[in-house]
Amino acid sequence: MSSSYLRFWGVRGSYAAPHASHLAVGGNTSCVEVRADNHLLICDGGTGIIPLGEHLVRAAEMPETLVVFTHYHWDHICGLPFFQPAFLPDWKIKFFGPGESAQEIERQLSNQMKAPYFPVETETWMAATSYIEPKPEGITHGPFVVGFHNVHHPGVTYGYRIEIAGKSIVYISDNEIDFLKSSIAQRTEEFSSDEHHLIAKMQLDERAAELAAIRNADILIHDAQYTPQDYAQKRGWGHSCYVDTVNFAIDARVKVLYLFHHDPTYDDTRVLAIHRDCEQLIRERGSSMQCIVAREGMIVEF
Amino acid sequence: MPEHTPTIVVIDDSPAVRVFFEKVASTLQVDLRTYGSAIAALEYLEAAQPSLLFLDIIMPEKDGLTFLQELRRTPLHHETKTVMVSSKDYAQDRATARELGALEFLPKPMTIRALTDLIVKYTAAQPRPPSN
Repeated sequence: MSSSYLRFWGVRGSYAAPHASHLAVGGNTSCVEVRADNHLLICDGGTGIIPLGEHLVRAAEMPETLVVFTHYHWDHICGLPFFQPAFLPDWKIKFFGPGESAQEIERQLSNQMKAPYFPVETETWMAATSYIEPKPEGITHGPFVVGFHNVHHPGVTYGYRIEIAGKSIVYISDNEIDFLKSSIAQRTEEFSSDEHHLIAKMQLDERAAELAAIRNADILIHDAQYTPQDYAQKRGWGHSCYVDTVNFAIDARVKVLYLFHHDPTYDDTRVLAIHRDCEQLIRERGSSMQCIVAREGMIVEF
Repeated sequence: MPEHTPTIVVIDDSPAVRVFFEKVASTLQVDLRTYGSAIAALEYLEAAQPSLLFLDIIMPEKDGLTFLQELRRTPLHHETKTVMVSSKDYAQDRATARELGALEFLPKPMTIRALTDLIVKYTAAQPRPPSN
């Protein structure tokens, strides 16, 4: 195997779905391992971080990592209390996520381990843990250069752009694309022609900023949670319809799109049907972008 | 301009939104200052308290809610009147804005009328007299 790869440990959105009908895709919630030159970066601490932690301890190598969190909704942090390396004295673990300070990041992550929610607090961690002070220019970890930006999801939520080995990997687990577009459509009669003109420009400004964050990514891992039918019922829940995800990625000239944060009510058959539909959309647009379903256990060399 | 002219600060990365506010300011006696990011506005806000601050949420470098949290820690901005203006209209963001003392949460797209009404409501800005 190449020394640079990523591995999906959790691909499910919202809550774990360990049902037999879902296991070809996977039941654990968000967690992606990124490795390069013997350095380790982990994106999110959903239930997928539990088997990753077990794997790292078994492998007994490289006891150091950076864990970045997109946000602090349960499906992205609930595996952390069971992350074995945190309880081992030879490990060094740095954490980063939304927050105005390192102290706030620590508070957000440790609160879920306080009574009555968990039997032991983060004080029982024996690893050398630290929390990274936010800087607008982003953070570095070994060879990884990690930028972050705000995305469209309830609460302050980050997307990450990871520059590594000459490649750009963008991880946006939760993001509702085109929310403004549908807000405009719902309220179109309220506006004068002058306002319509400005609102159209405002929409273009917002779209341009969103595209800039993912433009020319070699790998985009992105929320594709809903079918169009379900999105019509769940607009405003903070997740994307896969049609919008595919169009967004094509517009940004992404090379490979990984459909991620699969809805926990969708079984393997339904996710495969979504993938077929995405491939059809890509063909219809004449794009050469690859589209792949992120599955638990999948390894992608880069 | 009269001595009591309210100062309106707008922080939004969308140039079109800033034009929205310029249209509002053309009808009211206000001193309008617009910035494309929280970092760009910092120098002014470290020295002065505006009569009303309009803040977007999703912006490069620093989001509006995190920036407001930082501002609230400074004595100068502990009570600065603030209105959030964002396309990110979720209950969690509205709740956070309320906890940080934001007076209103105006979802995008907004009307010129809504912005005008908020400025008049919170600053008592007067209409700009018609020019000859």
